[in-house]
Amino acid sequence: MKHCSAIIKILLFVGTYSMSDRLRVASIVLLATILILLPNIRESVNEEVAKYVSDNESSHDGLPTEWDEEQVICIYFPVDHPHSLYPEGVTMIDSDGSILGVNEDINSTGACVGGFDGYSDGMEFMLDATRVAGGHLSVGYTVNPNWGPFVHTIGGLNDAEVTGDFNGAYWSLLHNGRYSMVGIGDLVMSEGDVISWSISTW
Amino acid sequence: MLDAHAVVLSPFETLLLNVALLSVVAWSMWKAERSLHPGSDFTVLALLALFAVTGRILLDPLPNVQPVTVVVLLVGIHYGASRSVVVASLVAISSNLVLGHGLWTFYQAMGWSLVGITGALLSQHLRIGQKISIPRIATVSFIAAFVFDWIVSISALHSIPVESFPLYIMAGLPFDLVHAAGNVAFAAWLTDPLSEIMSRHSRRRAVVVEPVTIST
Repeated sequence: MKHCSAIIKILLFVGTYSMSDRLRVASIVLLATILILLPNIRESVNEEVAKYVSDNESSHDGLPTEWDEEQVICIYFPVDHPHSLYPEGVTMIDSDGSILGVNEDINSTGACVGGFDGYSDGMEFMLDATRVAGGHLSVGYTVNPNWGPFVHTIGGLNDAEVTGDFNGAYWSLLHNGRYSMVGIGDLVMSEGDVISWSISTW
Repeated sequence: MLDAHAVVLSPFETLLLNVALLSVVAWSMWKAERSLHPGSDFTVLALLALFAVTGRILLDPLPNVQPVTVVVLLVGIHYGASRSVVVASLVAISSNLVLGHGLWTFYQAMGWSLVGITGALLSQHLRIGQKISIPRIATVSFIAAFVFDWIVSISALHSIPVESFPLYIMAGLPFDLVHAAGNVAFAAWLTDPLSEIMSRHSRRRAVVVEPVTIST
């Protein structure tokens, strides 16, 4: 009780408390406030960041023209670990699950699922779009309470299985052809956006 | 069959448990230090490094809130640049054995070392008389949070193009802000007790126990 009244007095700047005492209480209040507001601050900053990656026109190159202005997700597999169902070229899967064709001019193998609109939440879009492929592009991820979802498996390929002359491999996310500045859980999508996943190494 | 390990705690419960654990660790170290002979600076450095490692691991549920930056800064002020670099590197490597080791460990060690070196260089300016100024430590540690985070962000240049780097920094600003606010809190609460301990075990102030006998 004595401590409570002391803290209240310091908060109200009453009494003869030193600057250090006031700083101790103020610092805890500041930290708690920022932690509580963190989700809102992150959302605002992510929206600002998304404005700088709004150029999505060129990211539709090689995709079906009917997907222009639509949202698309592409999954590219490494040469040594091709997907059993999409081993050659890039298979184009429409939002209703129908195969539109295979583009063999793209220098990768995998699949793109497109023809969506209205999504702003990157993770929600990824899960909904990959579900269209009937489980062949299913996503495995873990959720860290602070950093959000971490995708480790797509289409049966776990990044830990990819080994070679490098330290490690991970599924990396591109947003309109550029490395995404935020994780899929924080990604704010606009109409016509293309996101793609491929294995990167470090 | 009972399986207590299957208990799943919510993030908030985990945080409460971790804060309680950290408090026990800090209190035990505080008591252990009391039984040390004056001048046991290496033992104190080891205790401080252990405190920083456990603090960083146990406070993991709070994004970017950890005591390492302030501890390393204070070590730099009291014990100089070289020892702060040792503590900074050991803390980065040891805590990443639990939190995840990778390319970023090098940049974290480099960032915290720079914080320690800054503390050593500014040590005279961070005092008022013989006493360390808490507001000044808080100010430096606030700035150090941003500098440290940006140094660690350089590791992203191994996977993203240089022109995307400003955006990457911008996306990380909320976490830099939390780190800075956490540093101010740690500076406000840790500067006095840790400075007292380190002053007591500074070689420069070591108490001469055995009188020197001069033979004539």
